[in-house]
Amino acid sequence: MTMWLAQSNAWAGIDVTRHLFLFSPMLTLVCTMLAVVACPIIVGRSAKTIGAVVVMGIIASFILAVRVAGEVAGGGISGLSTQPASGMLLVDNLSIAFQLILLIFMGGVTYLWWMGSSDSEENAPEFFILLLGSAVGMGLMVSTSNLLMIALAIETASLPSYAMVGFDKRDRRGAEASLKYLIFGAISAAIMLYGISLLYGLSGSLSVAIVAQHCIQSLASGHNLVITLVALMCLLSGIAFKISAFPFHFWCPDAFEGAKIEVTAWLSVASKSAALILLARLAMVFCAGVSAPEAIGMLSPLAWGIGIMAAITCTLGNFAAYKQTSAKRLLAYSSIAHAGYMLMAIAVFVHPHSDHGQEGMSALLTYIAIYMFMNLGAFGVVAMVVWDTGSDNLASFTGLLRRAPLLAVPMIICLMSLVGLPPFAGFIGKWWILVALGRLNDSLGWFLVITAVVNTLISLYYYMRIVVQMSLRDDGQPALSFPLGGMALVNICAIALFAMFGFAQPLKTTSEQFTRNIFDTTMAKTVVVDAAPAQPIESVQR
Amino acid sequence: MNTLTIIVFLPAIGALLCLIAPKPLIRSIAVLTSLVTFLFSLTLFGMYFGSEAGSTSAEVFGSTYGALHHVIRLPWITSESINIEFFLGIDGLGFPLLILTTLVSFLSCLASWNMERWKIGKGIRAYFILFLLLETGMLGVFVALDFFLFYIFWEVMLLPMYFLIGVWGGERREYAAIKFFLFTLAGSVLMLIALVAMYFYSGDAITQAGGEVASAYQSDVTLTHGTFDLIELATNKTIQSYFASEGTTFLSLKFAPLMFVFLFIGFAIKLPIVPFHTWLPDAHVQAPTPISMILAGVLLKMGGYGFLRLCYPIFPTGAEFWAFTLAVIGVVSIIYGALCAMAQSDFKKLVAYSSISHMGFVLLGIAVMTKAGFQGAMFQMIAHGISSPMCFFLVGVIYDRAHHREINRFGGLWLTMPKYGTMATIGFFAALGLPGMCGFIGEIWVLLGTFDAGSKYPWAYTLAIISAASVILTAGYILWLIRRVYLGKEKEEYAGYSDVSSREVFILAPLALLALVLGIFPMQTVFNFTNGTLDLVLAHVTSAISMVP
Repeated sequence: MTMWLAQSNAWAGIDVTRHLFLFSPMLTLVCTMLAVVACPIIVGRSAKTIGAVVVMGIIASFILAVRVAGEVAGGGISGLSTQPASGMLLVDNLSIAFQLILLIFMGGVTYLWWMGSSDSEENAPEFFILLLGSAVGMGLMVSTSNLLMIALAIETASLPSYAMVGFDKRDRRGAEASLKYLIFGAISAAIMLYGISLLYGLSGSLSVAIVAQHCIQSLASGHNLVITLVALMCLLSGIAFKISAFPFHFWCPDAFEGAKIEVTAWLSVASKSAALILLARLAMVFCAGVSAPEAIGMLSPLAWGIGIMAAITCTLGNFAAYKQTSAKRLLAYSSIAHAGYMLMAIAVFVHPHSDHGQEGMSALLTYIAIYMFMNLGAFGVVAMVVWDTGSDNLASFTGLLRRAPLLAVPMIICLMSLVGLPPFAGFIGKWWILVALGRLNDSLGWFLVITAVVNTLISLYYYMRIVVQMSLRDDGQPALSFPLGGMALVNICAIALFAMFGFAQPLKTTSEQFTRNIFDTTMAKTVVVDAAPAQPIESVQR
Repeated sequence: MNTLTIIVFLPAIGALLCLIAPKPLIRSIAVLTSLVTFLFSLTLFGMYFGSEAGSTSAEVFGSTYGALHHVIRLPWITSESINIEFFLGIDGLGFPLLILTTLVSFLSCLASWNMERWKIGKGIRAYFILFLLLETGMLGVFVALDFFLFYIFWEVMLLPMYFLIGVWGGERREYAAIKFFLFTLAGSVLMLIALVAMYFYSGDAITQAGGEVASAYQSDVTLTHGTFDLIELATNKTIQSYFASEGTTFLSLKFAPLMFVFLFIGFAIKLPIVPFHTWLPDAHVQAPTPISMILAGVLLKMGGYGFLRLCYPIFPTGAEFWAFTLAVIGVVSIIYGALCAMAQSDFKKLVAYSSISHMGFVLLGIAVMTKAGFQGAMFQMIAHGISSPMCFFLVGVIYDRAHHREINRFGGLWLTMPKYGTMATIGFFAALGLPGMCGFIGEIWVLLGTFDAGSKYPWAYTLAIISAASVILTAGYILWLIRRVYLGKEKEEYAGYSDVSSREVFILAPLALLALVLGIFPMQTVFNFTNGTLDLVLAHVTSAISMVP
């Protein structure tokens, strides 16, 4: 096949083997999907077998991703194209970093599923095809700067998610949640596609770098101004839906509440952070191309727009969480709030005065890595409470500190980390975002700093509601029975949160390394290592 | 090994030991840990007596603010533009409070020995682990000199304290604990804004000065970007003049007064000062006795320490700007706290409100910015750190026996429990400020300092007279309390009560002794160790103010 690809005209000049290697982590996941499909035919539908296959697939993919990370450490590669700017896919430090986080997290979620559902689940192959499918979609979302690919990737990530939310056919709440999620998702996808088609019509290209230049020109000259803005807003709304940013957050609590707990955990971290990184990449490509002074002036309102969206998102998420009595729903609103904090980091590099986009980017990446552990731990404990008591109502957490101290203590740690209280890693995540915002040193930066820290205070109360229920109240319910593996998982998360606080320095250094070259690769001059571009597009420095 | 690092982390190591130790040993380990920490902290006296220069802090700490002992500086989080250090050091500000903390922690750990809960054997491990972690947090605050590190230690205390009140407290513990948590975090949130802002503004100052500025107090160190170093922020001329400049604004408000307010509110909540005090009566009353001792004896002092370490040296112009407001708030606290105390019928609540009144003197003394004012404020903190844990423990002693705290139901306890009555009289007279006891020196010094300030602030005379007159209120509620509880006819209800046990005497006696010794030898016990540094801080503040046109 490789031979055939290499011989055909369209692929001339591309080292196909090498490019396939670069995309091998995601390809491995696709192969795992095929294996999961084949499994029932060959060895039967045993949930444990399927789980084992998936785990092996994840491990293989992880190993490959680590190797690819070594490969692209020096600079990103735009893939499967001889035209540097029109690469359908690209692999760089950022995309690989996210894929690594995604794979670790998927391992955690699969492990949760293994403990909770592997005994009773009859439809394991279907479940994992959906899970792997959405993972591939998310992996692609972060490794492209092509509008068509963006639309495809978002759909690849979304469609399995709709089905996963309503996966348990007997659960009416799940079905309702799934339908809500689907309708909301379909509409925002339609809006986004409309925006993409407008952008294509305006610029004649699907490559974000070229589209960005056209947009900037029209922003600067006022020519086609309205239509450009409408198109950009449409594109943004599609991504904001995935992030569950205000005003596209309504699906989030319902979908999270109705879904199985593993799915909730998966969506809360993976789909949001993939969309955030996609938005970050788009924002960087746009801003990297801005050089004309008139156009730089356009960035400030854009930064304010994203900043205000972030501020509203996290404030709203925090306030809405106050009255919740379902732990899943509470954590759903909390995840909206955290999406808001992370959006703030994006406002940093849309900003015209920002020479420190990388600081915002590495803050975002650090936050995502920490957020993964916090949410995995918190959802893990909720999962084990749900498995034993059958309810995720806060009442079923009553007296947990006595009933299961080894779950309650890590839960307290994860929740306090979500608040952002030292000495837990959540504080470090917030800290770097605050530093990136503070460095802007203007009213937007300080406005967001104040919003973020005040939100910390607001969020304390509702996280403490769970803590209070666990530690200060007790109505004599019997001790909780829980799988030992699950206990280990949540304790590892809690210890990781301590460790990531103490080793804040290496964590920061690593995320800086992983965001080092993005500004080069996302710009128009994206390098194809093995095929010299016929006519290099000049990089435009701001 | 660095002495301060050992002192700070000894309790944390004790907490780890408690985690793995068998249940019967836990109490002994905890008490032993806090005792060892206390004894170890006493070795710090060595820097006064081992020094050739002399034995007062003026001689030990040289002639400029920023001279430190037992310094440790290790890089913790460093990147191109951020430099967060593990930076501990001690001077005359932190030293007395550090000793106070280790002492009060030891005594209250001992006071935790016989809590009723232990009889059912529940929660003993968690209690002492949290207690020791709390001690680490408190000790860290008094020696951390990197703002980031200071903030971390400040926050580390919150969670243990929350659980200590919330799990082991009285009937309304849940409410009191969350109120304490929310109030304190509200303060820390403002501090966090100031933390980020001060870092970047100090960076701007250095950029404006050409990108390289020599450190004010370290040789061979050049600053190229912002700093979290509290001493540097206070003493570096470049940073100071940029902070104080009229043109430096934060969200179009003047930088220094605004940051001063952010930090001030953060500390004022802890102190606490009217109108941020409402958490205190709840927390102190609901907390178990040993935790009330810690709250009153140590936690409140962090507010005062914060003023002296951060607010005043770093934002002298802000201090000048707000001087009148702060002094008035201080006087209001004195009077309001005393009046509230007078109205209480709950024994513990009375002691809690008296703390607010006493802390008002601390704020007043600091606000007027005179030598006697600063010295008095520091002395008042130490004195209150001795008398109020004693008072809380005295309340605890009787509560353990009577299981109620209604002042009006008591009577004649001196006759029933003679030793207890004697101790109680010493404790409450110390709180009252009877001459010859520790409370007196602090109050009189603050009042003298306020009169002193009359030469620069005309309003200071009025405030001094008002606050001097308000001492009558203090005498009022304490004497009335003693009459109702300890004097009068012996009541049948309390007839068979055993007098204080030897463990209780062991806790009360050192406090009673200190209350007397500090009152009789204020120079030798406190002033010699603190005044030098306090005068340097004041000199720094006044010179910074006078430089501003």
